[in-house]
Amino acid sequence: MSKLRNYFEKDRRYEFLTGTILAALCVPLWAGTPCALSFLGADGVLLRVLQAVCALFAALALLALAVKATHWRGYAGTFLKRPGMVKLARIFYWMVVLAFALTVTDRLALSLIDTVRGALAAEKNPDGFIASMVYMFWNSRSFFWYGIGVTVKIALLGTAIAFLLAVLMAFLRIQKPARQDGDLVRFLKKLGRGFAHVYITVIRGTPMMVQALIIYYAGFGLFKGSGMTVTEINRVWSFFISGLFTVSLNSTAYLAEVLRGGIESIDAGQTEAARSLGMTGWQAMRRVVFPQAVKNSVPAIGNEFIINIKDSSVLSVIGVMDLMYATSSVSGIYYSTLPIYCVAALLYLILTYLSSLIMKGVSHKLDTQARDLPSSN
Amino acid sequence: MEPELRIQKLEKSFGSLKVLKGIDLEVNAGEVVCIIGASGSGKSTLLRCINLLEEAESGHIWFEGKDLMDLGTDLNQLRQRIGMVFQSFNLFANRNVLDNCTVAPITVKRLPRAEAEALAEKQLTDVGLKDFIRADSRRLSGGQKQRVAIARALCMAPDILLFDEPTSALDPEIVGEVLDVMKRLAGEGMTMVVVTHEMAFAREVSDRVVFMDGGVILEQGAPQEVFGHPREARTREFLSRYLEDI
Repeated sequence: MSKLRNYFEKDRRYEFLTGTILAALCVPLWAGTPCALSFLGADGVLLRVLQAVCALFAALALLALAVKATHWRGYAGTFLKRPGMVKLARIFYWMVVLAFALTVTDRLALSLIDTVRGALAAEKNPDGFIASMVYMFWNSRSFFWYGIGVTVKIALLGTAIAFLLAVLMAFLRIQKPARQDGDLVRFLKKLGRGFAHVYITVIRGTPMMVQALIIYYAGFGLFKGSGMTVTEINRVWSFFISGLFTVSLNSTAYLAEVLRGGIESIDAGQTEAARSLGMTGWQAMRRVVFPQAVKNSVPAIGNEFIINIKDSSVLSVIGVMDLMYATSSVSGIYYSTLPIYCVAALLYLILTYLSSLIMKGVSHKLDTQARDLPSSN
Repeated sequence: MEPELRIQKLEKSFGSLKVLKGIDLEVNAGEVVCIIGASGSGKSTLLRCINLLEEAESGHIWFEGKDLMDLGTDLNQLRQRIGMVFQSFNLFANRNVLDNCTVAPITVKRLPRAEAEALAEKQLTDVGLKDFIRADSRRLSGGQKQRVAIARALCMAPDILLFDEPTSALDPEIVGEVLDVMKRLAGEGMTMVVVTHEMAFAREVSDRVVFMDGGVILEQGAPQEVFGHPREARTREFLSRYLEDI
């Protein structure tokens, strides 16, 4: 941002080029039909003035180009470099910038506001793409609010539960038999290690959509087997609960690996120092290694949360009424496809972007490195 | 008198590489023993075996009458009384200077916080770090870090202190500040086993110098003997490289 400001305020080398480009960008905007709020109109006086300014500037720029072509070496000595001329060019340049700003406000910003106003008041789904997006979002806003609520709830709760489970899973994965352990303890430790390994491999190696279906139907079958009626099952094993289950179990595998990496990244010397002071392995982990590991993992945990916001969209296959489910429902109501999915994309983007801003703040507070929006699992 | 520490026939290998080939060593209470020798001779491994940071394959380590190699021995109990100072300091990066010193007394010895802090403040003052008590341990100089590490070990009131090349990671200008602390401790009668390349320190401070080579103790004795009239050719060869130093 400061780079851009610096360019406009101080850098005068590309004045003519930038001004010409801005003036050229105005041309197609003027050609567009003005909206009801337009103050420039289709051929108002102000519009003509702006056009004249831009045309004059373009002419000046062409002249400068011609002079430059003929006086490549002696350009500094030409009339264009006289103080008065330089000042004039600068004033003209700023007028072009102003003309561009006015044009953009009139043709784009005001148009958008007009479209939104029209769409909000419309009786039926308007034809315009953006108008239709606004109309459908506004008229089905209760669906979307509910969907956003469910998505955020699942992502938040899912990540939180997954974190707790992942702590256990990470410990299962890194534990090693100690020299004084008996055969049974050794066997149990190996069993736990093997379980964690298999769990992480299976979960990370299968799509969450498939996991959601398996978990939902497996749970359903289990309750059915215990002799409950479908109504009762739907009460305890709701779509939401099984969706939350899926996200939690899925994230556990990823977060366990994140935590394992975090723990292993802490210099082993610190553990040795703690042990040499008489701390048990567990005390060293709890007092020294684990707090550092968690702190270093905070950005990755935030990433997992953002991934969960996006990836929980696959839960709509089992009927979890999240943002994606709301979108599909609204799509059905209006027989609309492209505009409504663009609405969904925009809403997801807003959610993830806000989350990443929050994560950046948290990371900054904790003095760790935040990352950009993560890719999906 | 029963020695504080008695090591018998200690053997250790890493894979097929035999690092310790039967070490016998005794350290009496109040004695300062310096272990010298070339890199790879097994000095550090021996020291790390003493408090079982490395597990030896066979042999015995008696410390205050208990065999650490015995599987029934409560290692955590014994380690409280065996302090260790590392080459790379190994301060707890998530804690400030004071907390580095108090965490073990509080969690292991169950000292009340106020008592642990008073103890830590005294130890930190003694190593000349009174003004750094609240400092971030990551922002200290190497010499300061090592002095914190020594104070941290002393807070557990150990009966013996093991130093694993405590000055090797420091630049020559600040080696002195750590050695001064160690000299003071030696003067106060602390039992110390020091693996070091600081020959001048070994000569001046130690009661006994142990020369290790190829996983065995080749020669040991009073510093003036080992440095002045080494018996073994290998010792002479090794020491000749340090002649300018001493």
